[in-house]
Amino acid sequence: MSFFRELTKGFIKENPTFVIVLGMCPTLATSTSVDNALGMGMAATFVLICSNIMIAAIKNITPDKIRIPIYVVVIAAFVSVVDMAMAAYVPALHKSLGIFIPLIVVNCIILGRAEAFAGKNNVINSLADGIGMGLGFTLSLSVVATIREILGNGTWLKMRVMPHSFDPMLVAILAPGAFITLGFLMAGMNMLKNRK
Amino acid sequence: MKYYIQLALTLLIFCAVGSGVLAYVNAKTKPIITERKIKEAKEARESLIPGSDFERHTAVADTEFEYYVALKKGTKDAQGYVFTAIRKGYAAPVKTMVGLDKDLKIISIKVIEQNETPGLGTNSALPAFTDQFKGKTDAELIVDKDGGLPGKSIKALSGATITTRAVTYSIKDDINILRADLASATGGVK
Repeated sequence: MSFFRELTKGFIKENPTFVIVLGMCPTLATSTSVDNALGMGMAATFVLICSNIMIAAIKNITPDKIRIPIYVVVIAAFVSVVDMAMAAYVPALHKSLGIFIPLIVVNCIILGRAEAFAGKNNVINSLADGIGMGLGFTLSLSVVATIREILGNGTWLKMRVMPHSFDPMLVAILAPGAFITLGFLMAGMNMLKNRK
Repeated sequence: MKYYIQLALTLLIFCAVGSGVLAYVNAKTKPIITERKIKEAKEARESLIPGSDFERHTAVADTEFEYYVALKKGTKDAQGYVFTAIRKGYAAPVKTMVGLDKDLKIISIKVIEQNETPGLGTNSALPAFTDQFKGKTDAELIVDKDGGLPGKSIKALSGATITTRAVTYSIKDDINILRADLASATGGVK
């Protein structure tokens, strides 16, 4: 039961983007189009799951006072290994996800979950937390990206959804559009939460 | 005191293991990655000027500038040049691979690396944009917004003038470096 609860809490209740407000930088940068958002989300989910498992596995040999530098070393080493392995053995995947790898290293969701969850829980629950948070991140990125891509480019996943006469609202895919979209979505989430 | 030494040693062990793993993976993957990059660049050159062998040259005056002379397969006649032009666009450097004929007229170009704004600057990689470079000489490489005449200039992408300028003028400048190098006695085609 607790596995399932840890898994689903990342979707809405503790959504990393809208509720915990972590990982804002990659959210702003990669939500310009839905395929970018999915790429970033998937890459981050993968790293998050693996780093959560590893951090949880070594938590008994990690001295409490230096846990943060150890997390940073583990995550950075891990991300670099993934980057190099992907470039060498699955170049097609690396071509589409490769540009997100440097963004994952600085993605505070990964470190945030290591500190807040994986360092205190067992491997199984940390796995669930990694999957849930990763998918929650992917989900919220996709929502922001859907709004921005449709308004700013008239397309969704590169397919045209708006009529050709629609004049795209360029601001939506530029940086200010990300802040505006995110603001409205967070306001909406809070409104729903307060009504309950 | 003993406690702090223990902490430092623990951290050292973690870092050492981490570096060891990284060094191992790097040693394993680096040759494969380098090899593929070379292969990809070769394929890109061949798509610009098909049916050629390529010979690498470095410009004499500017050793940072590399270009390839395309030699027709069999006869070994020089039939053109290929180089990669790089200039900072709106976000990050835009890399464009350019194929020129013997008279330094553009055969075709290919934007091989860019990280511009999706939906605006990224359109620079599409044929609708790159096709207008075909047959242009360096004198015609001017963005229409900078006073170029229609038909004799590059039409700027809407909302991405900076990207258009980066692509256009990086090519123009590099053609001039190439021309100067070919004219100098040591450079040029053997």
